[in-house]
Amino acid sequence: MGEDTDTRKINHSFLRDHNYVTEADIISTVEFNHTGELLATGDKGGRVVIFQREPESKNEPYSQGEYNVYSTFQSHEPEFDYLKSLEIEEKINKIKWLPQQNAAHSLLSTNDKTIKLWKITERDKRPEGYNLKDEEGKLKDLSTVTSLQVPVLKPMDLMVEVTPRRIFANGHTYHVNSISVNSDCETYMSADDLRINLWHLAITDRSFNIVDIKPANMEDLTEVITASEFHPHHCNLFVYSSSKGSLRLCDMRASALCDKHSKLYEEPEDPSNRSFFSEIISSVSDVKFSHSGRYMLTRDYLTVKVWDLNMETKPVETYQVHDYLRSKLCSLYENDCIFDKFECAWNGSDSVIMTGAYNNFFRMFDRNTKRDVTLEASRESSKPRAILKPRRVCVGGKRRKDDISVDSLDFTKKILHTAWHPTENIIAIAATNNLYIFQDKVNSEMH
Amino acid sequence: MLGRGLKRKLSDYEENVAGLSSAFDSSRNLPYPLKRQLVLNMCLTKLQTYKMLVEPNLHRSVLIANTVRQIQEEMRQESSQPINVCTGITPSSHSYTGMESSGISLQLPSGISQQESNCCDLRSFPENTGLKLEDDRQDLKGAECVFGSFEISNSTSYLKDLAIDDIFEDIDTSMYDSDFCCPPLMPPRPPPICRTDLSELDHIMEILVGS
Repeated sequence: MGEDTDTRKINHSFLRDHNYVTEADIISTVEFNHTGELLATGDKGGRVVIFQREPESKNEPYSQGEYNVYSTFQSHEPEFDYLKSLEIEEKINKIKWLPQQNAAHSLLSTNDKTIKLWKITERDKRPEGYNLKDEEGKLKDLSTVTSLQVPVLKPMDLMVEVTPRRIFANGHTYHVNSISVNSDCETYMSADDLRINLWHLAITDRSFNIVDIKPANMEDLTEVITASEFHPHHCNLFVYSSSKGSLRLCDMRASALCDKHSKLYEEPEDPSNRSFFSEIISSVSDVKFSHSGRYMLTRDYLTVKVWDLNMETKPVETYQVHDYLRSKLCSLYENDCIFDKFECAWNGSDSVIMTGAYNNFFRMFDRNTKRDVTLEASRESSKPRAILKPRRVCVGGKRRKDDISVDSLDFTKKILHTAWHPTENIIAIAATNNLYIFQDKVNSEMH
Repeated sequence: MLGRGLKRKLSDYEENVAGLSSAFDSSRNLPYPLKRQLVLNMCLTKLQTYKMLVEPNLHRSVLIANTVRQIQEEMRQESSQPINVCTGITPSSHSYTGMESSGISLQLPSGISQQESNCCDLRSFPENTGLKLEDDRQDLKGAECVFGSFEISNSTSYLKDLAIDDIFEDIDTSMYDSDFCCPPLMPPRPPPICRTDLSELDHIMEILVGS
């Protein structure tokens, strides 16, 4: 597959760059809501920042599509488990938006142990002219009340209020790696290393354990759950991925405890690529159903794979993300990079997939044309509305101008979290503590 | 405008190269057993580091422990092939008649190992933990001590005494059970001569197995 991609197809103009400084500011998750109007990020400091897409303005034609900070709140605080003498980090592992039911927006956020449901509401009017209360809400002296008036709503500056609605605690012994809202809009699941729980969104004091792979003796433990997601349309189906590179599709109609999967998706190991690190690099770091529900996208250390729900024996498509690292696995193991958990994303029409890499690079694969592109999210080379130039990593001698050699890749700059707008070609890329939002140039010019 | 023609600074360049230049990626012509030994050492060092954490990352620990299992399984299969071959090839290297009389042939490589035997990995074990041994003979004792203490720690059910969801359940010690106490390669009991070293080794073992 050639790297020379049709740049008209996947060219993205740079729109915004939020630059932060400290470790707590490192972005740990990015998620668009179901309309794409809002974008939420979570960081290591336990904060959630919500961005809102600006409505189109006649005066500034380019402002369409720009995302600006809408609300910021502290979702999780560092905690201490006194029974186990454990510190619980405030880092936000995942955010999931609930489908919008009324004027308010809701999202779930989770750290290692506790999931919280937040409600985000807007207020731009306030009542004035109460009979018995003054403007501060204090009771008036009744003797001063001589006439009755009808209170009126007066406009005020827009205020975004974020309130915690539910706290789902004590459901997990291990680290929560995924949460997923069910298509029934009433339940969601949360997965940790060894168990998956099913919760009702309104009930916080109990959850159902739907998968438990914890062996009776922890010495026999050889596999952990790495990610999990509900099917987008069938509320009884969910998938979970494992550290051994397999996917298990479970049907909750089959039994209450889904320890026995309905389907097991697994690819036999290629003996020609066998190394000490075969199992580590085959560990699935992310799994995402396509919007259609027909396919599943998985990311392991070196590849992204598309699986057809109807074919268990092998993926229908495999794309190399950075195959040039195959000869560097030992060093990547030594510096722990090999354990990096890269996520992956579908575009709105399931025709393009995206995933991150090192050196602030991210990759896109067009499933129809089989073309791929490497793009860079960096402040040095990106200015607002500039067009991203495809990058190329060269292996060996034949180095072209502007190519970057494998040995000069910066492994501290990794793009783990990416998100694609549900319908448009707008992508959000978390590069350490910077959030980049890129938009398809063709699309933005049409407006 | 794009940052056309902008060159990466030399300092950045060097840093990045240094970040990836270690181990044997650059010198891929290392003999396979040595490579394997390097990886095994790295695994054990990582496991040891993780065990000092209050709540180790279970995902990583499992992946590393599986890698260790895989390497040890490979080594065990190799060592279960006729052992006599070892003594035949390298008559110059040290061999211990006492051991041979009990039907055990132990080869301790001097310098870089060309031999593939379990004791060579075990020898690296004390080195790994910072214990420096004087010569090959003591080396053997060291190795045996490790055997011995492993045996001791295995016999005490240190994991079973703990509560179900105790943090230590994350630690996988099963790899020591089968492979390090490989019956044909070790005497049934650690020789009494080891006693002096035992306290120190016990300390190392405490760290390693978290008992």
